Amino acid sequence: MPTVVLMDASLSMTRPVSLEGSEEFQRKNLAVHGLTMLFEHMAMNYRLEFTALVAFSSLWELMVPFTRDYNALQEALSNLEDFDKTCLELALQGVSTIMQQEWGSACPCQLVLVTDGALGIGRGSLRHSLATLKQRGEDKKFPLPFPFPCKLYIMCISNAEELQTTDAMDNLEQLLILSGGEGQIFTMEGPLCLKSVQAMFGKLIEQAYMPFHAVLRCGHLTSDVQVFPRPEPVMIDEEVDPVPKHVLTELEIVGFIEIADIASPPVLSRHLVLPIAVNKADEVGAGTTDEMEEDTSTNQMAGKSPNFCVLLHGSLKVEGMVALVQLGPDWYGMLYSQADSKKKSNLMMSLFEPGPEPLPWLGKVSQLGPISDAPENPYGEDDSKSPFPVQPKSKRSYAQNVTVWIKASGLQTDVQKILRNARKLPEKTQTFYKELNRLRKAALAFGFWELLKGVAELLERECTLLPDSAHPDAAFQLSHAAQQLKLASTGDSQYAAFEHNITPMLTDFSGGGGGSDRL
Amino acid sequence: MRMFSVSHKTVFVVDHCPYMTESSRQQIECDMLTKSRAQGVIPLAPVSKSLWTCAVECSMEYCRILYDIYPTRKLVNYIVSDSEFHILNSWRQEDQSVQELMTALAAVGPPNPREDPECCSILHGLVAAVESLCKITEYQHEARTALVDLADRVANRGRIICLTNAKSDTHVRMLEDCVLETIQEQNKLAAGSDRLMPIQQCELVLVHIYPQGDDTLVSDRPKKEISSVLSSEVHSVRAGRHLASKLNVLVQQHFDLASTTITNIPMKEEQHANTSANYDVELLHHRDAHMEFIKSGDLHMAGSTSRDSGLKETVTLKWCTPRTNSVELHYCTGAYRISPVEVNIRGRSMRSRSVLLEQPRKSGSKVISHMLSCHGGEIFLHMLNSTRSTLEDPPSISEGCGGRVTDYRITDFGEFMRENRLTPFADMSLDAAGRPPIERAKAQLERHTRYWPMIISQTTIFNMQAVVPLANLIVKDTMTEDDVLTCQKTVYNLVDMERKNDPLPISTVGSRGKGPKRDEQYRIMWNELETLVKTHVGTSERHQQVLECIIACRSKPPEEEERKKRGRKREDKEDKTEKNGKELEEKMWTQDSDRLKGAMEREKEDQSESEVIKDSPDSPEPFNKKPRLATEEIQPLEKSKGPVSLFSLWTNRITQANSRKHQEFAGRINSVNNKAELYQHLKDENGLDVHENGKATR
Repeated sequence: MPTVVLMDASLSMTRPVSLEGSEEFQRKNLAVHGLTMLFEHMAMNYRLEFTALVAFSSLWELMVPFTRDYNALQEALSNLEDFDKTCLELALQGVSTIMQQEWGSACPCQLVLVTDGALGIGRGSLRHSLATLKQRGEDKKFPLPFPFPCKLYIMCISNAEELQTTDAMDNLEQLLILSGGEGQIFTMEGPLCLKSVQAMFGKLIEQAYMPFHAVLRCGHLTSDVQVFPRPEPVMIDEEVDPVPKHVLTELEIVGFIEIADIASPPVLSRHLVLPIAVNKADEVGAGTTDEMEEDTSTNQMAGKSPNFCVLLHGSLKVEGMVALVQLGPDWYGMLYSQADSKKKSNLMMSLFEPGPEPLPWLGKVSQLGPISDAPENPYGEDDSKSPFPVQPKSKRSYAQNVTVWIKASGLQTDVQKILRNARKLPEKTQTFYKELNRLRKAALAFGFWELLKGVAELLERECTLLPDSAHPDAAFQLSHAAQQLKLASTGDSQYAAFEHNITPMLTDFSGGGGGSDRL
Repeated sequence: MRMFSVSHKTVFVVDHCPYMTESSRQQIECDMLTKSRAQGVIPLAPVSKSLWTCAVECSMEYCRILYDIYPTRKLVNYIVSDSEFHILNSWRQEDQSVQELMTALAAVGPPNPREDPECCSILHGLVAAVESLCKITEYQHEARTALVDLADRVANRGRIICLTNAKSDTHVRMLEDCVLETIQEQNKLAAGSDRLMPIQQCELVLVHIYPQGDDTLVSDRPKKEISSVLSSEVHSVRAGRHLASKLNVLVQQHFDLASTTITNIPMKEEQHANTSANYDVELLHHRDAHMEFIKSGDLHMAGSTSRDSGLKETVTLKWCTPRTNSVELHYCTGAYRISPVEVNIRGRSMRSRSVLLEQPRKSGSKVISHMLSCHGGEIFLHMLNSTRSTLEDPPSISEGCGGRVTDYRITDFGEFMRENRLTPFADMSLDAAGRPPIERAKAQLERHTRYWPMIISQTTIFNMQAVVPLANLIVKDTMTEDDVLTCQKTVYNLVDMERKNDPLPISTVGSRGKGPKRDEQYRIMWNELETLVKTHVGTSERHQQVLECIIACRSKPPEEEERKKRGRKREDKEDKTEKNGKELEEKMWTQDSDRLKGAMEREKEDQSESEVIKDSPDSPEPFNKKPRLATEEIQPLEKSKGPVSLFSLWTNRITQANSRKHQEFAGRINSVNNKAELYQHLKDENGLDVHENGKATR
């Protein structure tokens, strides 16, 4: 989930903070201090996150495009100049453009807005933007809500009391609601100083940038992992079940499925599963070892000790399979090998939609069991078969022989089919009656008795037009079919029953042993 | 979409009064004479559908699309109305199919033109529709039962689509009033019932049908709120083609559908095999499949065109003939069931299981944006991600934990995965212990991984073909008598191998020279086999038998071997001090001077390995290793990490040789970092308390 840091570079940010100490700080210095802390944290614990830095006043500028280079972000931050007044609407417009250009319109994002709460005056101020919300045309819409999902974190270099003396707090709250309600407004507690800005950014880190650690388990084989990006809580139906579902920190593999069988399933999100070394000193307990080992050597150690993730990844890749993993009650996902390039590949986890049956072609997940329980191996002894996809209980219209006569051509085609086969009697007796019965059924259901009469007349006419060379059976079948259709068109329950089928007339000529049927 | 939105329940009320027998006046020529036979034959008069036939076939088309896209959870109740109402099906899922409705409609037949018009009214049907909306569906029931105290979260909303021939706008208003009154009455009734639910929201869609060529007596009216419960809209439509396209638009609005036209589909029929003829197919599906276009504002430029049929556009996507049959896992963000707009046109063009679809862009660039895929006879439109990934350029797995280990048992784990593949079982197939299939799958994984070394150099038995039959059988939940026999045979076979002194695939990683001696190899192998079988011994009596067989058959108990090696002098004392065979093993392992250097190098690895697989007999437990690690001779060698000096090699050798000649102090054996804890026995005597404090040494 990429992050955009939107930094207020307006003149009001240079207001000095009154401090008893010797050094004089500007609000901007506090903001930079807080962001430095955030960037340092991300570089250490969340370094795969892409972050961009945008500065704004009455204009906006993309200072650093999306990057994982936190030094670059840090550098840009320390070289930040001061500009004129605050104009948030334009800046938000800019964020929207930057995000969509880079990631499209479906990728969720986190926006960290750092401001002093002086939100401008007159045209272009947030107050003005919000007041004119409803008087805008399609082309001048307020940028919030963004087309992509967004969490808005507003970091105020100011305390709540100060914000409440003006309408700044109200405006910011309204902004948060406009953005979709996801996110939070952070204010500083106590005097404006380095300590309180640290505390405020500490809260942001706690809420939005803590790495997600879990244990990946397959029976007794386990590995400690980090899941990146953090899986977000998911809500299925806000009316029936308004409690968001969270991914558990124990990810349990329940079995394996071929890639062809899982068939590119729809997923809510994708995550890297990175094995991590848990500090053993924590587990063993202090005292026995007083090692302060260098980072590199622990990494080397970790690299050399076998890890289940690597084994799993290797086998998934070689076999072309995925592991089905349980994320919570009635919630599943899959683990698979994802190649980034020819050389690099990784263990990935995709989350399915929560629910007992996320993929119709697998059926209910709780009904999936080990192949050893089946009477015979459903994959066949030579892996030539597969129990998937699970067949749906009923066929869709396109997989059946459905009759639709909404367009005249549909009806004409069906009548022509019957006539075509009528001319090839008795060879085509089976097809003739099949088509005839299909037409009959549809006509009965649609209450289209007139058609039955019409087709009966057509068949009678065909009968009179039969050439001398025609097989005698043809005439019998045609007049029999015509008569049956006529009977059906009366609506008489004996002949117009939907389930009833017109069967070929038994004649001397039909079938191999026809002659013996004669009385 | 909310589960219990207005679309959960749809009631069709179709007018079955005598005036519906009137002709739509849209004539269909069904006697298309072929040229050769045209002479002298009088063509059949064209047929025309009645208003009833038009209403029925269009409503069936609505249902066909609905059931294709929502085979479950979106329900239809079909009612016809004349002198009374006839309910053709129920809310139950098994009643939900076009086939079911067609059968019932055939039984009803067309309206009877001779029936007394005074007795007939659409009102009977509308009243029945409201009553029906109060009836609880199985999904509502299930959700209410699951929520218990929060059952009121389950809403009851619904839609009534009324196909009729109204007399005037006043008549329409009368119908609306009647529906509203009935809702109010029924809601009072429903409040006191368990099987009924009051209606919270009802959408009435009145479709007035009149013959072609007539002037309409009823005016169109957009949706308006009649009360907080009821909203109503009126559509005045000519029968025939216009009615069909109206209902097509309605089904799209009601169920959030959108249209995609797939172009460039190659003809596969024989007569076109040699031509490059292509055709197009228009599909309906949930509009979320166009999410990316809608949000990015690409909808108009994505080659979309207005259709004559309705208000909405269709997005054009190009069929990409699959190049290979390779199976790939695409990043797919949604999959939506489809329904073809025209079912008569080659519904079965899906020969291959999936086809990629390309989105033509203004710039001329091409993007694969969707995939059409067939799963068990159902076609889905998959939405593929075509934007930059936020996960690009991740650290390769080989750079992380365990990434530098090269001898993972990849093939063996692949085999393990094949054995642990899943398969669907029939609903409610619980085993004797009442576990659903998925729990049995988990239990099987648990059994199969009780002893599962991850790398080749950690195991001997899994590198031996001869052990395979036993290893496969011992993990089973229930063993047959035959299985036990096979296991025993495996053991006898191993004994035989040992007698013949066959070489074993013992890993020589980290050791210099030939590795351990042959008898040593067998001892390691037997130990490992015992470890494997011991983890399953509790499963059943028969598993126990296998272990007994191994214990009985393995060549010599380790103690015996040990004694031989150490000489008889120390024998008696030894037995008293040593606690178990394992510790002895430990020592012997380290004392083997040939392996000294290898052992030292392995030290670091073992430490971490043993954390992973504690059962592995050839990775000594860290507890016992630590003292040796701390001995002064080894430490400098470890730290320098350079090549071993001759001096330290020599010192080691001498120390090792000397150590063989005397018995190590018990204290030093058990010491940690050369510090031995005194009065350990006191702790042992105190027993449980100490253990609970977690400080206990073993």
